[in-house]
Amino acid sequence: MGSPGKEAYFPRGKPGMDPRFPLGPGNRRSRILGGGEGSRSVWVAVVSTLLFFAVVAILIVNSPGWSAPGGVRQLFFDREQFMSSLPKILGKFWRNVFIFCIAEVCVLTFSLLLAVMRSLPRGVFTPLRVLSSSYTILFRGLPTILVIAILGFGMPALELQGVPNSDYFWAIIALVLVYSAYVTEVYRAGIESIHPSQMAAARSLGLTRGQAMRHVILPQAVRRVVPPLLNDFIGLQKDSALVAFLGLTEGLRQAQITAATNFNFTPYLALALVYVVITVPQVLLVDRMIERDQRKRLAGGVA
Amino acid sequence: MRRYLVGLALLAIVAAACAPESSTTSAAGPTDSGAPAMTPAECATAHSGDLYAADTLTIATGNPAYSPWYGGKSVPDSEWESSSFTGDPHTGDGYEAAFAYALAERLGFTEDQVSWIGIPFNKSFAPGPKDFDFAMQQISISPKRAEAVDFSEGYFDVNQALIANEGSPAIGATTFDELKDLKLGAPIGTTSLQVIEEQVQPNVEPTVYDDLDLALKDLDNGQVDAVVVDFPTAFYGYADVVVGQFPNLGGEQEQFGLSFEKGNAFKPCIDQAIVEMREDGTLDALKDEWLETDTSVPTFS
Repeated sequence: MGSPGKEAYFPRGKPGMDPRFPLGPGNRRSRILGGGEGSRSVWVAVVSTLLFFAVVAILIVNSPGWSAPGGVRQLFFDREQFMSSLPKILGKFWRNVFIFCIAEVCVLTFSLLLAVMRSLPRGVFTPLRVLSSSYTILFRGLPTILVIAILGFGMPALELQGVPNSDYFWAIIALVLVYSAYVTEVYRAGIESIHPSQMAAARSLGLTRGQAMRHVILPQAVRRVVPPLLNDFIGLQKDSALVAFLGLTEGLRQAQITAATNFNFTPYLALALVYVVITVPQVLLVDRMIERDQRKRLAGGVA
Repeated sequence: MRRYLVGLALLAIVAAACAPESSTTSAAGPTDSGAPAMTPAECATAHSGDLYAADTLTIATGNPAYSPWYGGKSVPDSEWESSSFTGDPHTGDGYEAAFAYALAERLGFTEDQVSWIGIPFNKSFAPGPKDFDFAMQQISISPKRAEAVDFSEGYFDVNQALIANEGSPAIGATTFDELKDLKLGAPIGTTSLQVIEEQVQPNVEPTVYDDLDLALKDLDNGQVDAVVVDFPTAFYGYADVVVGQFPNLGGEQEQFGLSFEKGNAFKPCIDQAIVEMREDGTLDALKDEWLETDTSVPTFS
């Protein structure tokens, strides 16, 4: 038990805990349900949540367009359509997985390079800095679908020797170009968040600028930006659907085909479900990574 | 907290009370065929309350609107841009535009009372109230689709055909087997893709495009060997060669129909007009005027 003075310092939670995490870093359940005040508040939270969603469901199901012939229930929630389109969509969704996995690896590498270029000292390196910053300005300004359309339809038309004409190739290039621009900024924010004194300290120990970057700055910078990196990765996963524009039959295009053939939107709902299902574990994983990292750093004594 | 719960409960009551009020106006529409001698125009007058906009026939179609279904030079302030391959529905040029104005005339509308709106294909079968009376964009009638929308009488009998450019390996093919190993393309929402999958059963996966334009772009780029389009479109000169035509799917004649919201009460008047136009030769005359009817190309087998 701590002294009264210590309790005053930790107003909520048990003594000895970090004041920034009054509920403890790993206590997710109570964070979502707003608990921490005993079982009564948990029950209220559960009842209130159920009631809320029940109201929403009643509102939707009783709307005039829900059960009419050709209404929302028939056109969006058709069981038979769902069951028949889901395997087809999943079969084509692997192409999205292929596209965004390859693209993500390229994005992480390419943008790290650009971010490091951006952080080089002024002087001789100014052209590289300018190149990097104008790249991010240009590609953050361009809608992804335009980049995909311009590259996907334009580049094969050039009939360049030795350049693949595959839709996959140009789709991946387009996604890498666009997402690298965002991710470069994320990395740069991470690098700039590391106090300059660390670079100075590393240099004073005899490390070169490159070594200091590699061994001191980047490991900390990257760890700090994991959540925004995941944000962009999820964005990339979703934007892989834009590849449908090129005529490549991936998840979205498969859903569109089935929807247009049968005049039924249920396949879109099936695809939406697939996206949610793949996103949830990623978010949970990164949440856990962050918590573990925080615990580790706190355990080290010096935050 | 308690106030919040009371609020939620109130919301539930309101939701249950106010929601189920469907707008089933003029449910008597389709059934009041008591007067058999009604002409389409009289029917249209009787059902004028069932139109989307008063005294106006509002028709939805795609934008761009492709030849030979739509043609002519854009009228001022039109959303549609005309080119050598696209037209403006307002001109009445092209088979579907001409059919629309002939239909409107038969229903007693003047040219000025026909209004066009451009929609993406998906919207022609989206649930809920429509902001048009019907969609007219080469929509093939099928029983499955008829679960979502009401189709008019068919106004055009259609087959699918294969087009390719000079130098394509598709040229000279007359059997499905010869097409099996080719990279084929089709615009989305048409039966072209079904024709490829069910009749050709290709070894190479076909490519599906958002619209005809993109399919043709890839045909020019050599990304696909040949594209399946409807027969009249094939003859419009989008590609160098019409390789051949496909027999009907499942032996049933494919037809284009107008697509209406389920339960549309104005539809019977339109059906009546289309039947009249078919019987008195108007549809055939329109076909002769706007479409290439050369049937000398081989049928794949």
